[in-house]
Parts: sequence; structure tokens; C-alpha cells
Amino acid sequence: MIEDELLKWKFKRGSKDALQRIYEKYLDYLLTLAMALLNDAGSAEDVVHDVFVNFAKSAGQFKLAGSLKGYLATAVCNRARDQMRANRRQPARLDESDPAISGSDDPEQSVIYSEESQRLNDAVAQLPQQQREVVVLHLKGEMKFREIAELQGESVNTILGRYRYGLNKLRSILSAEGGLRW
Amino acid sequence: MKHNDNMEEKIKKKLNFTAGAKIRDRIFDDVLKAQENSKKTITALKEPNIWRIIMKSPITKLAAAAVIILAGVLSIIVWNKSIPTAYALEQTVQASHTVRYLHIKSFKPNEDEPKEFWIEFYEDGEVKNVRMHMPEWDSPEDGAKVTVWKENKAQVWFKKKKSLVTFSDKTIAANTLDFIEELDPKLVVERLYYAQQAQDQVKIEIDEPSNKAKPIVVTATCLPGSSRAGWRVVLFVDRATKLVTAIEFYKLKDGKYQYVELIEYYDYNQPIDAEMFSLDDDIPADVMQTDQTTQKIGLVQGDLTDKEIAVKVVREFYEALIAKDYAKAGQLYSGLPADKIREKWEELKVVRIISIGEPVPHPDPGVGGFQVPCKIEVERDGAKSIYEPYGPGVRPVHGQPDHWNIHGGVK
Repeated sequence: MIEDELLKWKFKRGSKDALQRIYEKYLDYLLTLAMALLNDAGSAEDVVHDVFVNFAKSAGQFKLAGSLKGYLATAVCNRARDQMRANRRQPARLDESDPAISGSDDPEQSVIYSEESQRLNDAVAQLPQQQREVVVLHLKGEMKFREIAELQGESVNTILGRYRYGLNKLRSILSAEGGLRW
Repeated sequence: MKHNDNMEEKIKKKLNFTAGAKIRDRIFDDVLKAQENSKKTITALKEPNIWRIIMKSPITKLAAAAVIILAGVLSIIVWNKSIPTAYALEQTVQASHTVRYLHIKSFKPNEDEPKEFWIEFYEDGEVKNVRMHMPEWDSPEDGAKVTVWKENKAQVWFKKKKSLVTFSDKTIAANTLDFIEELDPKLVVERLYYAQQAQDQVKIEIDEPSNKAKPIVVTATCLPGSSRAGWRVVLFVDRATKLVTAIEFYKLKDGKYQYVELIEYYDYNQPIDAEMFSLDDDIPADVMQTDQTTQKIGLVQGDLTDKEIAVKVVREFYEALIAKDYAKAGQLYSGLPADKIREKWEELKVVRIISIGEPVPHPDPGVGGFQVPCKIEVERDGAKSIYEPYGPGVRPVHGQPDHWNIHGGVK
């Protein structure tokens, strides 16, 4: 927590080192969130790219009383929503073999993950968007239900309901696949 | 429920994605470019904010003014080579970059005791440790206090209140760093660029006495019409080290410049004893100690709203008093020891809670949190009465933002 406060302070004053540390500290965290929300490596990379670039641009006007981690997670969530809306408006891509998608011969080009991660993520991707957000932001984003309620503009009870439904549905999906045992 | 718990753990632990090296580099290249571009914009925009900072902070405003004006002086000298002087303030800029230790005193007219600061910097110029002595006149309600900020942890000794509080809090960390930033000579260089735009607003006079024992005197007078009109700042520069040793501040009043504050800089790079950044040997035995970095204070907010947790804290506090559970009451009241609570509430017994109303934001935004209006029945010397405490004030615990506690107004 305190390290983040120092990083925010230094970042605001134009420190390249602070920006690098924030990037290293939160890149995989944000990429995981973006992947869980979008289930597409190329889109997730775009989202994380845009979030960090906008963050870097904001240094001069940067004011944040809350947590840096929460701020970045919220930015990823908002950007992921934009991405989903944009994807719905666009025809399917002709070339689905994005170099960042799993299966690339060059691991350095890829988003790296285990088979189990992919299976879990495929299951998460089948949840309705709002349930998916709640489950992902709470379990992977470590956000409180209260914070997610603010983000979604709903009551905490609604968010708790979405979380419960989301988890139950995930259990059903994964049990049906027989791929995971709890 | 068990299923859900397993599912939760699985997602927490097993759902992970990692960026390959080329993705890392690719994104980071763009991020760095974005920061570089933004810096150019910041440089052009930031100057007016400096004066806002000066005006905002009563503690730092004069010190900050000194730095700004110094920056203005330096910028004019560095970039305006037409000003003939043997002394180049660039030397001061260079010298300031090697400062590791600094001792500062700040004097006000009609006040005998100065504010006093000792600062240690890391080699890269970042603040490492700070000790601050604030006299009673600076904050009569708190009384004199000593603060040590070390390894991101602050200890504040309130001498009058016989209380020592240890925080590890982002607000305190940010305030301390902001404050030191305004005094740190190394940051003068950065501010040169900001002051450059205002150079036609300040008249600079440099006096380099022939007597080598006397300091170089730089007088910066803000011109009428400038945003800082009415201020005059006088800097004294050591002949040998080229470091600023003192700054005097004057404000124009009734046609005359009147002395407002003096800041003196001592012991540049004289190592400060590590014990200066500890209060262990200073604190008398009767001082009540609260360590908010290790003690769990207040109640966890969980999924309650801010107002709900404020009401809950107040209710549980008075319920604890009714049950004579002074340890719990103390935990809810800033982590005070049970003995202290018993001492405060022994004579005035809480009989029952009559009502707890809707919390309202605390009238002082600087305090934060809420005041929770309530009515309680109390008993003193066998006589019962209805009592409406002022407050009570409830807010998040310093350094434990998920916890809320009472900070005053209960009695």
C-alpha cells in the first residue's frame, strides 16, 4: 500500500522508474483481468496497452486518493466494456490467428497460461457479462463488492446475487465438462 | 457453500495469464513514449500550480515561495546571460544536488520557538527519514508535537496530550513528501523550467560583497501586476559552498516590506545521528502509546456502506460501555487502552442507547468521515439523565482504510 503511494507520488512527478515499477508490478494482474473479461488474447493486450498508455499520459493531471491497483482494475474493466461493444459492432476478424493467441510457436510473443487457466477462462467467458465482471473483479481484481456495486451502478445486494449466480453457473459448466473436480 | 469456496480458491489461484517478453516490451515502449510526450505538456502547464501549492499549505507556503523565487532567480541567471555577475547561481544548483542531510529552522515574528526539521535523503535524492518539531503556537489544540517519519512509518508524539501514535498511512506519507518537496534544494532545478515563464515578473538584484566573509545576497522582488505582487524574498548564499543558508520573506504592507518569516538551512551534509529518527529514548513512561500499524482498531467495514459502518461503530462503542467492556470500547475509540477508557467513563455510566440518527458528513472536511447524532441515557451519582454527545466522529482508521473507528466527540 505504502509502496504504491510512493509510486503514485513519484509517477506524478514524471519518474520513469516509478512508471516502470508500476508497469512491472501490475502488467500480469491487468492482463489476467482483461483475459478473464474478454477471453481473447489480442483484445486483452489492446486493453492493457491502452490502459497503461492513458495512465502514462495522465501523469501531469494525475490525482488519485484511492488505491492504484483498484484504479487500474477499474480502467481495465471500463476499457474491456468498450472493446466488447466495439467487437459487437464489427464483423468477425478474417484472421483469427493473432500472434498473441495461444498456439503461437514463439512463447515470447504470447500470452502465457496453463491449460487449466484456459479451461477456467473458457468457463468464465460463458457467464453473462455482468456476472462475469463481478466474479472476475472480486476474485482476481480483489475488489470489494461495495466497489463493484459502485462500478456497475447497482446495490451491493444485486452484486452479491450476481456473484452467487455466477459461481453456481461456473460450477455447472465445469462439472458438465468434467474437466475439473472441486 | 463449500463448493463455492473451492471454486473461489480455484479461480484465485489457477486463473492466471502472463505476458510474454515481446508483449511486455512492445507495450512498455508505447507507455514510455506516452510519458515522454506528457512531460512536455506538464512542463508547459505546471507553473501556475506551484503558486497554488504555496497558498494552500500554511506550513509550507513561505518555504515553497522561497524555492519558487529561488528557481525564478536561477532561471533568469542561467538563461539570461545578459545579467552581469561574477557569481553564477548554477553553482548553487549543482551544489544542491549532492545534499544528503539537511537541518532547517523556520522562525516567525513574535514567536521565540522555531519549527525545526531534520531530513535525510537517499543517494538518489528521495526522502529517507524526517524529524519535525512543531511548537505549540503552530497548533494550539494539539500542542507541541514531534513527528518522526521513517521507513514509511510516522510516529507523532503529542506532548500536551501525553500520547504517541504510530501510523503507516498513505495520507501522512504523501503530506510528508509534499512538504519536503517544497524545501528540497535538489528540486530547484526542476522548478527552473516553471519559473522561466515568469521571469519578467520578478526584479532580481544580486549583491556580491567585496568582503569575502559576507554571503552573497539575492533579492527577488515581485513586480506590481504579477501574480506574486507584494512579496519580496531575500536569499543568502554561502560563498564557499554556494548553498543557500537562509531565506527571508517580506510582504508589502502600507507601502513597506514587512518581515514575515525566516528559514535557515544548517548542517548541509552533516550526517544526522540515526537516533534522531527514533522517539524511543524521548518518550516519557506515562505517555499513552497507540500503534496503528500493528493494533487492529475499529470495525471492519466489509460490505456495509460508509454510513452503515459509522452507525455500527457508534452503537457497538456505547454497547461496550454499557457492558463495561472497556477493552472493546478502546479498540473502537482510536485503539485507546482499556484503562484509559475506564478512567474516562467510570463516573458517567452509560445506561442505554436511546437513539442513533443518520450520520452527517463531518463539518470539517479535513477531518473526514461522519458525525453520528445520538442520544444515550447516562447515570452520574445515582441520577439518570439524557445525554447527547457532540459527534461522535467516525472515520476510517489511518493506514487501515477497511477499518472505521471513533476519533472523538463521544463525551
